[in-house]
Amino acid sequence: MTDDVVSFLSDGDRSLHILFGSQSGNSEDLAVKFGKRAKSYGLESTVHDMDGFDIASLASMSRVLVICSTWGEGEQPDNAEELWNAANGDGAPSLSNTHFSVCALGDTSYELFCESGKEWDKRFEELGGTRLVDRVDCDVDYDAPSAIWTESVLAHMAAVDGNGTFQPELVESIIAEMEGSGESSVEGDDGFVIPVLESPEIQVKVRVFRYDPQSDERGHDEWACVLNGNISVLEVLRSIKSTEDGSLTFRDGSLHDPTTVICANGRPILPGITRIDSVISSNSDSNFLNLEPIVIGEVIRDLVTDLTISDIRRASTKPWFRGATRDGAKVRDAVIGTMSSDDAKKVHMVRDMISTVLVDSFSDTVPYNEAYISPSNVLSSWSRIIDPRVSKTSLTENLDLLSSDVGIKAETDLSSISRHGEMGETVADYMLDAKTRVLRNGAFQDGRHGKYVWWYTWSVKMSGKVNDTTIYRQVLGPLGLVGNLFSGVTARMVLGFTRTGGKMFNGLLGMVAPPAGVGKMPKQFNTPVLNHHEVVAIFNEVDGGF
Amino acid sequence: MPMNYAYHPGNVAHSSAQEVDDTVFPAAKTLGINLIPLEGATSCGAGIIRQANRRLQLTLNARTFAMAEELGLEIVTPCATTAGTLFEDLTTLRSNPNLLAEVNNVLMETCGKTFTGETEVRHLLHVIVEEVGLDKLSASVKNPIGFSVAGHYGPNIQRKGACGNDDVFQPNYLERVINALGGNPVSLSYRTQSVGVPSLLSEESTALKQAAAVLSEAKNEGAEMLVSICTLSHAVLDVYQVKAGKISGENTSLPVIHFTEMLAFSMGHFNTRLAQLKTRVSVIGN
Repeated sequence: MTDDVVSFLSDGDRSLHILFGSQSGNSEDLAVKFGKRAKSYGLESTVHDMDGFDIASLASMSRVLVICSTWGEGEQPDNAEELWNAANGDGAPSLSNTHFSVCALGDTSYELFCESGKEWDKRFEELGGTRLVDRVDCDVDYDAPSAIWTESVLAHMAAVDGNGTFQPELVESIIAEMEGSGESSVEGDDGFVIPVLESPEIQVKVRVFRYDPQSDERGHDEWACVLNGNISVLEVLRSIKSTEDGSLTFRDGSLHDPTTVICANGRPILPGITRIDSVISSNSDSNFLNLEPIVIGEVIRDLVTDLTISDIRRASTKPWFRGATRDGAKVRDAVIGTMSSDDAKKVHMVRDMISTVLVDSFSDTVPYNEAYISPSNVLSSWSRIIDPRVSKTSLTENLDLLSSDVGIKAETDLSSISRHGEMGETVADYMLDAKTRVLRNGAFQDGRHGKYVWWYTWSVKMSGKVNDTTIYRQVLGPLGLVGNLFSGVTARMVLGFTRTGGKMFNGLLGMVAPPAGVGKMPKQFNTPVLNHHEVVAIFNEVDGGF
Repeated sequence: MPMNYAYHPGNVAHSSAQEVDDTVFPAAKTLGINLIPLEGATSCGAGIIRQANRRLQLTLNARTFAMAEELGLEIVTPCATTAGTLFEDLTTLRSNPNLLAEVNNVLMETCGKTFTGETEVRHLLHVIVEEVGLDKLSASVKNPIGFSVAGHYGPNIQRKGACGNDDVFQPNYLERVINALGGNPVSLSYRTQSVGVPSLLSEESTALKQAAAVLSEAKNEGAEMLVSICTLSHAVLDVYQVKAGKISGENTSLPVIHFTEMLAFSMGHFNTRLAQLKTRVSVIGN
């Protein structure tokens, strides 16, 4: 470290107070871990259990971190309840000299996500505290977001001088010093050595979509940048905005803010947690990073998309939980319905979406069908269906919703979702479960899609091959076939506009039983595949319904 | 030495996409690729059979994998839906030994076959770029395409592991092939977007809006023709394009051919068909 920074980090009061509100111990573990890490930033940390903490002592603390979980339906954990009441009572002190930040732990499967942390964040502000770093809201998999928040918040806290005054100009220097301090590792909880990840600098052309609603002009701006590969896309945007173009508009927020989703080189991402070296592409000339708005709503300006449609979709699905009974396990202030750990795990996994906007932006259907409730709401509804605690009414309503024209059958192609990495595969997997349940509930006769799946599968059993003629006839019915006759579809197939000179008749059948086998019209019957009896045997063994 | 592959034709090359069946063999032969048809292979299910019964589609495809393993060959197909579906099911079976054992039990009982997971599935596009090489491809060209051609990949094979070394979200293999065949590649932002094949008959309006977005972008970007690497997407983009234009209000009139047709025509096969294609391009391609 340079002498100036070393001197700054060792001068005067360097205390850091970490308060934890914890029900299961996670917040406490994090508080201890953060406390150890704080030493690297020249801070002398003290970890406080909220239980028994004197609210009045906050007034004299210039650096405070709050790490708090949420219990049940948005309640404070047991050990935080008393302090929370005190913080909202008449004796609450002024925090005009206090710099703070909050790490909230929660679970997105609950309606009130990270509510306790949000309440502490708001209350500190109301009492006059200065928020140095935006609150981070962590889902059950909190390691990564809390770790990223820690590095940022400790650098900011370290920049509060010995007299309690924040020196913002020093934050970058402290971060730079920490990165270049020669530390090759940090000490883990159990004596492990966790290496500090480094990434080489990358030359990259950053190309950003621009839209000005006043002039209705659209286009792209491009910047040639030299960037460290491990910085996030959000940091790139912030940097461009602060140094190059202050008018650049994008959704900024905490690292996991679910509304910040944009497209980076064709893939939807949360920019706060996406490193640029994981999304840049290369051609023969250079590395490039194309940033575009997602397409699930109208673009408001630059990279900002109107997400109102998402709210409307969600509201239309009545997503809240409605239990069959009020019986359950009694906790301190409430009764919570119980289920087996296996069931709980299944329900939780279906609802474990880091961002509903991100999940919806995977789908190639969403931009073309406003009525479709979208993948995130399909999953939300599916999680209610598989929840053993749900009421019969809610079960019926959710099944009806998924079976309707705007439900799971409206999603035209799950492969557009499953290709988006592990999360896409998981989402598509659960959507497939929902689709199968809905189709089987309707005995494959409830609407065209059920018939399509049935006759496709049936035709494969009959010959091993798809029989297009059978499918068209059975799914579309006479009216649908006549519709195709007038819409140009049949004409293009029969008259051969699209055959590029191929055969007019596909076998004798085309002449004796037109239109089948004429032009591109498929034949009535397929020749079976070799050893077709094996195919029939598999069908009979695996699914005797066909 | 020819490169031998077990050939899966996809789902509709025997019926509404016979032009693929016509053109794939001569094109492959010219490039030194020997396609050995899997005569007993079933439809891959196209992601549709699994909507009825996930295990059923897996078992049918395991039978296809077992046949390829008996030949000691990798599977190649000219259909992106089939390549993607087979890849997905192959990956599922490989990653779950218990599931693989259960499926193998059924295979043994019904067909006397077992499957170890050693075969691979590849799309012909990836074999050409990664195994044949673009230099050899260029050297085989007798009739340079000479048009501005947009390529459509669809979503099925654009996933990690299924698209060779091509970029999942910003692929360029097809554009490089178009360039090697003497065409002028037009890169579309919608080139990996689905055109709704699995729901064409049930969600027609949405599927055709998706198809229209691809066609109209190609048209607006100056393409005179569009080439598809999927037999099913090809059918939607081609046969349904008038209806797609009516539903979307977009200009969708554009010649659409399959990837194997473009290969065969440029290599001097089916010259009369190429002549007809040139006529179509000159009439509606711009």
